[in-house]
Amino acid sequence: MVFQNMQNSSDKPASLHDKPSLRTVFGVLRSYRMRSGMGAWVLHRLTGLMLVLYLPLHVAGLRSLQDPAAFEQYVTLYRSPLFKIAEAVLVGVVAFHALNGLRIMLQDFFFRSDRHKMLFGVVMVLTVLVTLVAGYQILSPYVAAFLFQ
Amino acid sequence: MKAYAAGWLMQRITGAGLVLFLALHLWVQHMPNGFLATADEYNRIVAEFADRGPVYEEALASGHLREALDGEHVITYSKVAARLQNPWWKAINIMLLLFGVAHGLNGVHNVLRDYVHRGRLRLIVMGIASLGAVWVSVVGIRSLLAVGSGL
Repeated sequence: MVFQNMQNSSDKPASLHDKPSLRTVFGVLRSYRMRSGMGAWVLHRLTGLMLVLYLPLHVAGLRSLQDPAAFEQYVTLYRSPLFKIAEAVLVGVVAFHALNGLRIMLQDFFFRSDRHKMLFGVVMVLTVLVTLVAGYQILSPYVAAFLFQ
Repeated sequence: MKAYAAGWLMQRITGAGLVLFLALHLWVQHMPNGFLATADEYNRIVAEFADRGPVYEEALASGHLREALDGEHVITYSKVAARLQNPWWKAINIMLLLFGVAHGLNGVHNVLRDYVHRGRLRLIVMGIASLGAVWVSVVGIRSLLAVGSGL
């Protein structure tokens, strides 16, 4: 049981040993102490779950790799504006999860706890930067086409 | 080694690998560079589509295939197939897939341990997630191996 706390980041909330119900959900939410460490933990979970749901969709779509005509149409579907916006959001989700994951690994080994808040700030700044730069590359042809058509 | 520690270590090893593989993946498939077709290149490919038979003709007519916008970089089958001719790229993509599956499955396991305390329910959800992981691995690897091999 000693290792149970090692697996998760130190800022994990107390688990409630109740049956699933709306009351339990609110109870769990109230038990979270909303500070930046908690925010990092919740965001890491949410982005992780989003990526777990996205992976099967992505692999299902890529079955079209077995048929060139189907693959070209799959790619074309993903070139419609709504999918492009989703692509930029996806880059942001991946960037946060990757950068925050690096922070968790780094601070397990190298940083004193009084530096954790500063590190999380760095994670957020880098996430926004990566998302803006990649989002610009992904969306600019579409914005230009929309504005100057 | 205790199971908790093994899971903790695996999440860090696969996580570190995924940071590298995903950065590479996002770079070659989502950023404008030579791994994608430029708008001009892609529009030349689209012009050839009409000669490839009725499936392409119908897709062009219904808008399921369409030309690139100015400045757009497009993923196209020939570029992907050319890259995956290289066995290193094939290996990297298979590693990306398997690391992603392992990391995701272990992540789901961690969430279940935190929130689902009924043993049987946890076992059922974990069983479904495991079947999904096997499906994603098998289907993903099959697709990767099929590229360029005429399957």
